[in-house]
This record gives sequence, structure tokens and C-alpha cells, in this order.
Amino acid sequence: MTKKSQKINSDRICLGVLAGAHGVRGLVRVRSFTQIPADLVTYGPLGDAGGDRVFELSLTGQGPKGQLLGRIEGVNSREDAAALGGQELYVARDLLPETENEETFYHADLIGLSVVSEDSIFGRVAAVHDFGAGIMLEVVGPDAKSTMLPFTRAVIPIVDIAAGQLVANLPEGLMPGGSPEEEQGP
Amino acid sequence: MSRSVWKGPFVDGYLLKKAEVARASTRNDVIKTWSRRSTILPQFVGITFGVYNGHKFLPVLVTEDMVGHKFGEFSPTRTYYGHAADKKATRS
Repeated sequence: MTKKSQKINSDRICLGVLAGAHGVRGLVRVRSFTQIPADLVTYGPLGDAGGDRVFELSLTGQGPKGQLLGRIEGVNSREDAAALGGQELYVARDLLPETENEETFYHADLIGLSVVSEDSIFGRVAAVHDFGAGIMLEVVGPDAKSTMLPFTRAVIPIVDIAAGQLVANLPEGLMPGGSPEEEQGP
Repeated sequence: MSRSVWKGPFVDGYLLKKAEVARASTRNDVIKTWSRRSTILPQFVGITFGVYNGHKFLPVLVTEDMVGHKFGEFSPTRTYYGHAADKKATRS
């Protein structure tokens, strides 16, 4: 699941954020957004959004509230660590490994793709959700209304990341409209 | 206190009828429903329902593991948007 305001189809992907200082020796608290929190440091050098600054982060342990503790090269005091609070940690998209098969996609690749149906643009993928009943794509249309589409071969037969679009067979039952009274009948 | 067994699971009658029609037809349409309170029955397995969450209809493809739960459990009314990071989605 991904915030709507997040950069989409970006070259750099946000994997975590520095939450603040821990102790007086320059340790930092880190919130990891990765599936396995410790994977934060495994993909490659972490940097800022523009890639201008690199943070050589090494994890040292578990912090409070599910956060990780780490040490950043060159940060040796609490003041320096506290000054980095709120800094987001990005990694280049190219550094993420290939997915296991052709049917598996990174959320970051899907978000921002155009959804095309019957030769017209239906909307853009704003988020990927899984509420326990299958993966679904949140598609926001030109009228800013969102629709949930199941991420299945029947509904999304073509995923063309290079072309930046998905082809969808829109099912009638997911479109807005109708009322509970109509459902119950006379 | 849990529901008495002799009553059987609660399902809105109109939803049951819709599901029977869907099972009889070969089309894989989504059944639009507002009945979040209905229990998922074994005869719903394989059918996709569009369960209303107050804003929109969320696709719920019923599997065997979901039998006995309510439809509303799979259509949350509040949505948390996290970060994509390295998360993956597999098309089914």
C-alpha cells in the first residue's frame, strides 16, 4: 500500500526514514518500510531523494516501537544524529533484484501506470492493496474518484510497464452506482 | 456471546439468490453487494463479490479459507497508505 502523494515510477524508491537520535553516541533510530525491516541496508547505498548525499548506514539492533537502531558513518554525536531526524532514505530502483517470475511486480512499478480500457484511459494506479481477499489496484480516474480492480489475469490481462500502461477488462460490479434498496428487491 | 448453532449462519436472502444465479451462469461477473453482515458460505467459493465499504466496492474473491467470516471483514472502511518500498504483488 502506498501513499497517493508518493512519487510514482521514480528512479529512486523510499525504503525508510531516520526517526531521530538514540543515546548520546550518535546512534540513529530508523523506520524501515521494507517487507523485512532488516532488508533496508541490503539493496545498496542509501541516499537522499536526489541521490546527492549518501548515508553509510549499518544496523546495530532493535529500537523502540518496531524501529531499528543504526550507525551512520561520520555521525558521532547525538546532535548530529538528531539533525538527521525525518531524513528519508532512498535507493536507486535499478538496485532492487528481479522479481521471481513474470506475474510478480514491484508495487513501485505498478503505481503510476495508466489503466486503459476499450482504447480510452480509465485512470491511473494510485495504490496497491491487499486486505486478505486478493491483491487489488486502486485506480483514480480523471474525476478523482477511485475504483478498486482485482489484480487478476481476467481483469488485468496485460501489464506493460515499459509502455507505462495496464489493459483492463472492467467488471460491472465494481463501478459506482446502485443502492442497497435495489439489491434487496421489492 | 456467540450465535446459537441451531440458527445457522446469517446470510441476507437476496445475496443468496444472487450467488445462486451467478453459480448457474458461466459469466464471471462481480456481484455488487452492500450486505457486509452476511456470512460467507461454502457455496460462495470462487465467486467475486464487490463489497461496499461506504465509499466504493472492493473486490472480494471468495476462497475456502474465508468461509465462516463476514464479507465486511474483507472490505475495510479505513485505508492505510504505506510506502511501496520493496513490496511485491503477484497477479493471480
